[in-house]
Amino acid sequence: MSLVIALRTGRVAHSNSSSLVAPAGSVIQARGYAAPVKAAKKVSSKFRPNAGKENDKKNRGGRDPGLFRPMPPNALTHPVFQSEYRSELKLPVYRPETLTSSAAAKALAFPRDDSRALKAFGLPTNILVDYLLLSTPCSVVRQVTVDVLDQLDKAAQSSSQNTRLVFTGQPGCGKSYLMLQAVQYAIQKEWLTLYIPRGINLVNSSTPYAYDARTQTYGQPAYAQQLLKRFADVNAALLQSLTVQSSYPFDEREVQNGAPIMDLINVGVEFQHQAPTVLNALFDELAKQTKYPVLLAVDDFQALYCMSQYRDPFYRAIKAYHLMLPRALLEFASGKRKFARGAFLGALSSQNTTFRAPLELIESLGLPPNGPTNPYVPRQPELIEYAKGLKNFVVPERLTVDEAASIFELWQQSKALHFPRGDELFLSKYTEASGNAREFVEKGLLQTVAM
Amino acid sequence: MTPSLESGRSFPLATQSRPGRLSARTCALVRQRARSPSSSVSLSRALVSGAVRGTMNIAKQVAGGALRFRAYATAAYVPPASLEGMQRARPPPSKPKPESPSFYTGRANYFDQLLALEKAAKQTRTALQELQILPLPRFAQQNLPPSPGYRRFIGQLNQLNEYRRLAEVAGHMELAGRIQRVLDMFERENKDAILAQGKRKPVKFDEFGRSYTIGRRKESTARVWVIKAKEAASSSTAAAGQGEAQPSQDAPAVGIPGFTRGPLSMAPTPIKVPTTNILVNNIPLVEYFPHLSDRERIVRPFRIAGLLGAYNVFALVRGGGSTGQSGALALGIAKALAAHVPEVEPLLRKAKMLKRDPRMVERKKTGRAKSRKAYTWVKR
Repeated sequence: MSLVIALRTGRVAHSNSSSLVAPAGSVIQARGYAAPVKAAKKVSSKFRPNAGKENDKKNRGGRDPGLFRPMPPNALTHPVFQSEYRSELKLPVYRPETLTSSAAAKALAFPRDDSRALKAFGLPTNILVDYLLLSTPCSVVRQVTVDVLDQLDKAAQSSSQNTRLVFTGQPGCGKSYLMLQAVQYAIQKEWLTLYIPRGINLVNSSTPYAYDARTQTYGQPAYAQQLLKRFADVNAALLQSLTVQSSYPFDEREVQNGAPIMDLINVGVEFQHQAPTVLNALFDELAKQTKYPVLLAVDDFQALYCMSQYRDPFYRAIKAYHLMLPRALLEFASGKRKFARGAFLGALSSQNTTFRAPLELIESLGLPPNGPTNPYVPRQPELIEYAKGLKNFVVPERLTVDEAASIFELWQQSKALHFPRGDELFLSKYTEASGNAREFVEKGLLQTVAM
Repeated sequence: MTPSLESGRSFPLATQSRPGRLSARTCALVRQRARSPSSSVSLSRALVSGAVRGTMNIAKQVAGGALRFRAYATAAYVPPASLEGMQRARPPPSKPKPESPSFYTGRANYFDQLLALEKAAKQTRTALQELQILPLPRFAQQNLPPSPGYRRFIGQLNQLNEYRRLAEVAGHMELAGRIQRVLDMFERENKDAILAQGKRKPVKFDEFGRSYTIGRRKESTARVWVIKAKEAASSSTAAAGQGEAQPSQDAPAVGIPGFTRGPLSMAPTPIKVPTTNILVNNIPLVEYFPHLSDRERIVRPFRIAGLLGAYNVFALVRGGGSTGQSGALALGIAKALAAHVPEVEPLLRKAKMLKRDPRMVERKKTGRAKSRKAYTWVKR
């Protein structure tokens, strides 16, 4: 199975429970993060479609391995790998102290040991593919990075209502990378960070959903449980010192006022049907506490403003703001709920054309509309409300020559290119890409056959 | 029209019920004839004819409905009183006659003048023959005074030109210059234009130093304006001081320790690399051509010439598809670079970048499915 196809199909397990009421004694299997992969159980049925079924069973190959994961370098003990031509990328580490204007156009590697955010939260697909080709997760710090980090520093002291940024720009200009850099910086600066790298997975009906009569919205228990686990994993050290500021009487367990916040999270982790409620409660708690600033970062932000691919019992499409988690994210984005200290970051993405930024969001951000519009085009008032007060942070569409040179050096050092290094080739690829980062790397460096 | 009596034909007269009243027209006719000094015979004839006509008219009037059934084939009768206010059908507008008989040749002026000249020559020949000057006998031909020709003059100038070339080749430039000055007295003013008549026109630059070239490929045309890219000013300003502290770097930039003089003792200056920006139909190159092969084709002239980053390009492209447009753009850019930097022209020519690709889509032929593809051969 090709790497890219595996990533595109986005394999996520579907758990057994499809309602918020959990069957007694069932263990929730969540694939991709916690539990190892198990073979699917064969269910016997009376229907026998083909005669040659036994033959096919013998001829079928091994189990599909799914997502490709590279082996860690320590596991490569075979003599073939012991060669002086193998080299690991040695880059300076991405640390808050080094992130000043002087670091602009420098390639820095994300620290692997300190924070497991990259593995815990996951990555957008395009960045993941890059890191499978490069030997280490890294990125090039640009001037815009320094600007964003300055804004985050300012936001650490004020409520998230004042800092609600949305990264916009041409396709391929570096919005997702910028968001990843901001998230890494926040984690290192001891922020409580919640990063959703693929916002489309919230609305593309890839996880089970169930209606909650109390809130009159649809919850996504499996996704919420996963998210709680990841959040707890990344922010474990900081969460030890936080306590809950009100009591939450769940059916299975009650969380008293003043209990450690991890107790609340564990309720959601253990009981999947309670996970959406627990997540909402967690948001409330994080909003109230003032000890640590909170960063809520959502990539594919425009998907929260589209119609989801879930269906209600009448087979009508469910709006994204009728789902519990997207609704909570939208409320923080629009300032209806706010963290006492912190910021909200969103990044638009044009990769998936099923979830395109709607007119209300485009107008709120002041972007040029896609086609001719007029005041008579219907605009949903709810979406206008949820898009109020968002600040447009424009990412420049061109890399500077220095930044592009750093990227070129990075790919050269990782020995991923089939041509020798040279100024002329670099400049010709830069010219062909007109400075666009994705075109420069994907087409200019990786897909070219020119020498 | 009633035939007159003068024609000599007889026709039956309808029986007369009452003496016919002469019609108004007949009265007028009679009055006219009476005024004119015409013979009595004609007057009487006119009267008779008028009377007969009037009788005929009355007969028709009396017969009325019977005669309207067209017992004989004539035009329908309309009373004259009704004809007075009638709008006659306009005759179709006649085509204006062409001014000259050679209008339909398409080049009327040319043929008119040619025919006039030929006519003049014919007439002159006739006149000369009458005067017995043509054909001229041999002794007269030989004794004709010479025409004021320039053969001897041109011969001398050619000789001087040869001497000038010799002097140039031998390296005596001063002598060659003096000969040239003599020759220049006899040169035309528009000498360069005449010499360059058959050759390719040189590329013109406007007041901002922009060149304008056109490239074509298949069905596409590209109009290309190329202008020199502005050099960044940082390299010139920072080269002044030694050990000048650069505020953007961590440590002040200094020269290499151990060198007190020369370029290695100076602080390294950050070089700003100029880049080539290409706009096609006012859209950046990467957006207009999504395929990498098209983009590489367009940047290739810069790579071969070694002028990446030196010039900016603005182009208007029309017609064809992406391959045609990218090929046309590449040709336009190559021509422009050859104009800006003539040293680069042999390189581009060798790389066949200055040649217009003559390949065009071949036409479909009858009896074939496409230009070359034949229909399936059937044995029977």
